[in-house]
Amino acid sequence: MSTRTPNDFKSELKPIWCPGCGDFGVLASLYRSMAHLDLDPSKTVIVSGIGCSSRLPHFSSTYGVHTLHGRPLPVAMGVKLANPDLTVIAVGGDGDGFAIGAGHFPHAARRNVDITYLVMDNEIYGLTKGQASPTSLFEQKAPSTPFGNPEDPLNPLAFAIASGASFVARGASFNTKALTELITQAVEHKGFSYIDAMSPCVVFNNTQESWKEKVTDVAPDHDVTDRVQAFDLALRGGFALGILYRQERTTQTERYQTILGKAKPSDLDVMLDGFSARKGAAIGKPA
Amino acid sequence: MSARHSVVVRLAGESGEGVISSGDILTQAAARGGYYTQTFRTFPAEIKGGPCMYQFRLSDEPIWSHGQDVDLLVCFNQEAWDLNWDSLGPEGVILYDITEVVIPDDYLHRARPVRMEALAKEIGGSLRAKNMVAVGAVTGVIEFDTAPIEELVLRRYAHKEGVADANIAALHAGADEAADLKGRYPLVPPVEVEDDRMLISGNQAIAIGAIAAGVKYFAGYPITPASDILEWLSVRLPQVGGLTIQCEDEIASLASVLGASYAGAKAMTASSGPGISLMSELIGYAGTAEIPCVIVDAQRGGPSTGLPTKTEQSDLNHALYGGHGEAPRVVIAPVSVEDCFYATIDAFNYAEEYQVPVLLLTDQGLATRLEVIHRPETDEIELVQRKTSAGMAREDYKRYEYTPDSISPMGIPGEPNGMYVATGIEHNEYGHPGYTPEIHLGMQAKRLGKLEPLREVSRVATHGEAQPEDVAFIGFGSTFGPVREAVDRLRERGLSVGAFYPRVLGPFPVSRVEHFAARATRVIVPEVNYTGQLARLIRAETGIELESVAKCDGLPFTAEAIMDLVAQEVTA
Repeated sequence: MSTRTPNDFKSELKPIWCPGCGDFGVLASLYRSMAHLDLDPSKTVIVSGIGCSSRLPHFSSTYGVHTLHGRPLPVAMGVKLANPDLTVIAVGGDGDGFAIGAGHFPHAARRNVDITYLVMDNEIYGLTKGQASPTSLFEQKAPSTPFGNPEDPLNPLAFAIASGASFVARGASFNTKALTELITQAVEHKGFSYIDAMSPCVVFNNTQESWKEKVTDVAPDHDVTDRVQAFDLALRGGFALGILYRQERTTQTERYQTILGKAKPSDLDVMLDGFSARKGAAIGKPA
Repeated sequence: MSARHSVVVRLAGESGEGVISSGDILTQAAARGGYYTQTFRTFPAEIKGGPCMYQFRLSDEPIWSHGQDVDLLVCFNQEAWDLNWDSLGPEGVILYDITEVVIPDDYLHRARPVRMEALAKEIGGSLRAKNMVAVGAVTGVIEFDTAPIEELVLRRYAHKEGVADANIAALHAGADEAADLKGRYPLVPPVEVEDDRMLISGNQAIAIGAIAAGVKYFAGYPITPASDILEWLSVRLPQVGGLTIQCEDEIASLASVLGASYAGAKAMTASSGPGISLMSELIGYAGTAEIPCVIVDAQRGGPSTGLPTKTEQSDLNHALYGGHGEAPRVVIAPVSVEDCFYATIDAFNYAEEYQVPVLLLTDQGLATRLEVIHRPETDEIELVQRKTSAGMAREDYKRYEYTPDSISPMGIPGEPNGMYVATGIEHNEYGHPGYTPEIHLGMQAKRLGKLEPLREVSRVATHGEAQPEDVAFIGFGSTFGPVREAVDRLRERGLSVGAFYPRVLGPFPVSRVEHFAARATRVIVPEVNYTGQLARLIRAETGIELESVAKCDGLPFTAEAIMDLVAQEVTA
């Protein structure tokens, strides 16, 4: 049984989000999940980028890194590799993760970095007041797309599955019970777990009511271990909430532990001997 | 011919012909024999094709530059002659491939053909051993013991049956060529062959310096001329319980380094100009969030893709000022291969002590050249650890607390009372976002002010007079070697000359530089770039009147070129 309550994870700072913002629901779900998992706040690190949702670490009484726009994943990887005992949760928005930070996403996924990545997807740039994001819909009107968005949206779930993420799920900020459960499973998952949390921006792209109407659950007979089925489900789009894909695969941490096991222990003096002018090995070749 | 203290050899040919490996093997054999060596290599940015050159200088005494007038020029092909003939010293001799090169009549009396291709084909059945014929020919002219070379060849090709034998046969065949030049350059044998000497490159010295400093995390992205550090640490770091990772780009490299350092590990990345440009935003972040890290910039010719395989010192401005806003960082430039080792330890110590990013500037010449150095005294290494929140009560803890020295205790995950959010947004002492005038003024003063003491205490490199009256040289990085040699020779002529190399360029040691230059008639600032970046820095920070000597031809200075500066009036 957990001895911690969601309140234990609240920091003294109150969220700066607009009233009705979906991110409140995501944050509440995260608090509950962390309490349910009985995480030690001093061994938990929440890493974010830049954007409305990326302010989240400041509202949590754990360790946190509020990084640069687009950079939470490599920072989170460094934290986890340096200290595998830590629980590392990266958070951010769709612009942070899939525009400026998109270059890092497939690599975190294929490496199976042992972290959770929770994206609060509102299909808009909220902090900069409503421009189109990589997940904005075709023909969506926004200050930067006055004639309607000429681009097709990126599909984060299909991107995740294609890139090698070993846990892929969709949740919604207005369904906190299910989202809490998803975050719990994602954090418990060994490897890179990705959650696309639909989190409406009620000011610049108020999708809340339409999303509430459209959401369904992933079909009970969906095989989460079948990557092709999961990819198919992701490509169909739609609003099925739940786990799309889950795979057991060695994590980056485990693979580096293997490397550490293979390396023959050495020390500075032995390494210096390797450069000895008299007895050193061939140049460029480690002794 | 009487025995000499120094011989300069230049090998030149087409990239892919084994010119570089020939130079490496000769250098290593000389080092084994107890000689001091200095090398310089330059090659094209392509894998195969294009001219490359390897120059090495051997001496029984310590030397500080790779030399200027070539005593022995070895031409693998015609282009090698066309590009390198003007480096020959007045007495220099030439070895050239008989089937490939035509030597002008004026030079024929001191040129000897070597059947490089013919012998290679005859012995090994292909052109592969061509370079070993050349190596053999060199050992004939400068009277080299071939035993260490044979041993190296055997070791290098141990896994390939027959290849080692063919190479050794080619080596011997080469040594019998140019018979009338045999022993033309007898070197004074080393008096004392010390066992504590190492043959090492600048990049390798940085990598092992990082191990000595306690690095536990390295992330990098392949780039010339810094990749050696990534490759060497990929083997070595796991042997001391650390990790090396090749990232998807330089941004991820530095980002993950900052994550690792946040989690308590000493962490480093290494790149060259283009990668450093990509890291700029994160360097500002590290300064603002006060996360220690070491960033190596093995400078190459810029701007943009520039001259990837040539040397230049043109990232100084970027290292000092790159990025938006005004963020603290330390910039340190080692002055020799040996100093690469110590400067890396200094870099980690400064990073940990001041909780800042530290940029360590080398250049292609320094990063890739091989030098014989004395083995570092490992028991004399002092390491600095960052101030942490360990032992503090939670209610007292403020990550960015104003303290007398402006250095605040850093919480490390796992530490129960050090929880905070590292952030690049302006923040108060707790790390909470805040944008009031008081906060921004206070935090800028804290972050930039904490480095002020370093102006007075940073270690410097000097040579010659402490306060020269005739000529004062001020420079940074790899120009120290040739300047040092020039200082010695100028002092032998009775001039009062000295060199002062700050090593730490940011924050700049203003008063010490002014003191050094106070009595000098001439202050000369040599650097390998176009705009005279160091000269501008000195002018901005001090009142010194100086002569800027900036050149950017992709090549390092020679001692002779520095001497010439004194003979002539420099106008700048």
